Amino acid sequence: MGRRIVATGRGGAGKSSFAALVSRYLNPPTLLVDLDPDLSLADMLGFDFRKEGKRTVCEALYDVVKKRKRNISPTITTHDQMESLLWSDCLYEGRKIDLVSLGTKLTEGCLCAPDEILRKTIPGLAKNYTNLVVDSPAGVEHLNRNIVSEINDLFVLCDPSDKSLKHIGRIKEIIKQVGTRYGHFYLVANHECKEEAEEYLQNTGEIYLGKIDYDARLEQYNLEGKSLLELPDDSPACLSVRRVLAKAGYQTNS
Amino acid sequence: MGKVIVSTGRGGTGKSTFVALASKYLNSPKLLIDLDPDESLADMVGVDLSEKGEKTISSALYNIIEENKGAGRTGYNLLSDAMQSVLYKGKEFDLIALGTKFTVGCYCAPDAVLKDFIPTLVRDYQEVLVDSPAGLEHFNRKVVVDIDDLFVILDPSEKSTKHVERVKDIIREVKVSYNHLYLIGNYRFTEKTEECLRGTGETYLGKIDYDPHVRQYNLEGRSLLNLPQDSPAALCVRNILMKAGYKLQN
Repeated sequence: MGRRIVATGRGGAGKSSFAALVSRYLNPPTLLVDLDPDLSLADMLGFDFRKEGKRTVCEALYDVVKKRKRNISPTITTHDQMESLLWSDCLYEGRKIDLVSLGTKLTEGCLCAPDEILRKTIPGLAKNYTNLVVDSPAGVEHLNRNIVSEINDLFVLCDPSDKSLKHIGRIKEIIKQVGTRYGHFYLVANHECKEEAEEYLQNTGEIYLGKIDYDARLEQYNLEGKSLLELPDDSPACLSVRRVLAKAGYQTNS
Repeated sequence: MGKVIVSTGRGGTGKSTFVALASKYLNSPKLLIDLDPDESLADMVGVDLSEKGEKTISSALYNIIEENKGAGRTGYNLLSDAMQSVLYKGKEFDLIALGTKFTVGCYCAPDAVLKDFIPTLVRDYQEVLVDSPAGLEHFNRKVVVDIDDLFVILDPSEKSTKHVERVKDIIREVKVSYNHLYLIGNYRFTEKTEECLRGTGETYLGKIDYDPHVRQYNLEGRSLLNLPQDSPAALCVRNILMKAGYKLQN
């Protein structure tokens, strides 16, 4: 069983950039799961789902639901059907990183159903990889849903605000109450944090691993939709992520 | 019937800051609604919900459920009665917050309670300002069905432009109605990147300038309503509202 890593945090703190770069430097093969319905990780990695004939979990699921409405009582359950579709249709296979994306839902209602499918299938999928890296949607609802119930390392990306500190307390309480198990709870500061904000993070009583330095190129890549896998190794964001991973005891590859 | 204004956008773009600053200029009586379970709007407008004993919808709902286990009544009906108790009443504005829950499961239930209550609430105010959680799920849930003005706050990234398309797709499919959709750039836009917003075919109302005070206030958890009069961010919000045709009180 590989290591299970989850990146979480408030909106805009840099979860997706962090998850993308972490995946890049971990020993392959890595399975990356994008739980954000406002999907962006595929774009950030330059993975073109359409070109490879792949679909998001929402696309596959609501297609199945639609077809089931037309056919009379299929003998296979939606869940079983989805489990096989996850492998055949939803798993984008990259060179070192594979990706599963939740995707956008265009029908009325919450994301409980697609999230539940991932909650049940992630453990099985993850068995085949050295690492599982999960990028979370902004906010706290995914934690209430307990989508990844056993985590080795939970990285919380923080922006410089009092809201960030409150967020840390809130998510600790949620994961305690819903029974999520984790090995480590790590704080990582984003590039906006200056010394003053870093000091706050050092004094929370949680393990603070350092900050991700400002990287003009990363900003440029995100603006243009260029793959973060092509960001030069010596760019500040890459160096910071490797430093943070080393502090957390990871061996990284280049 | 009050005007319903919704602020939305990707995470970290400045949705709550926009709402907090806009609340200064809108007409009373006004109501602020925080749909984000990672609640922060109250702090940003200097309201301490726990101090006065006001609760959030989530805390009230799960308290009622806990207290009435096996009592044969649903928390939902009881909560509708108790709704007035979770409404913070201030001098300048009223506020209601969804709040965090500490039990397993989604926010469908508290969202549904709020969704049903909003049409009643709206009647009592001239302007209702809704701050959304990051992302899209609140649109799928149709928490606010009838919107007058939808402000989408953007950061300079390709993801932001895709976000606008996604928002439009979802609200068309699930049938959320709105009169206007406005784009607003956050402080990270430069003149060059602003050009991208002008070329989208949507109504672009301008950007919110960088404001070191806002940064400092947010770091310390101070109310944005106490920003200096000439704060660049507040003035930008004022301009944007005027461009959108609002008659302002300040």
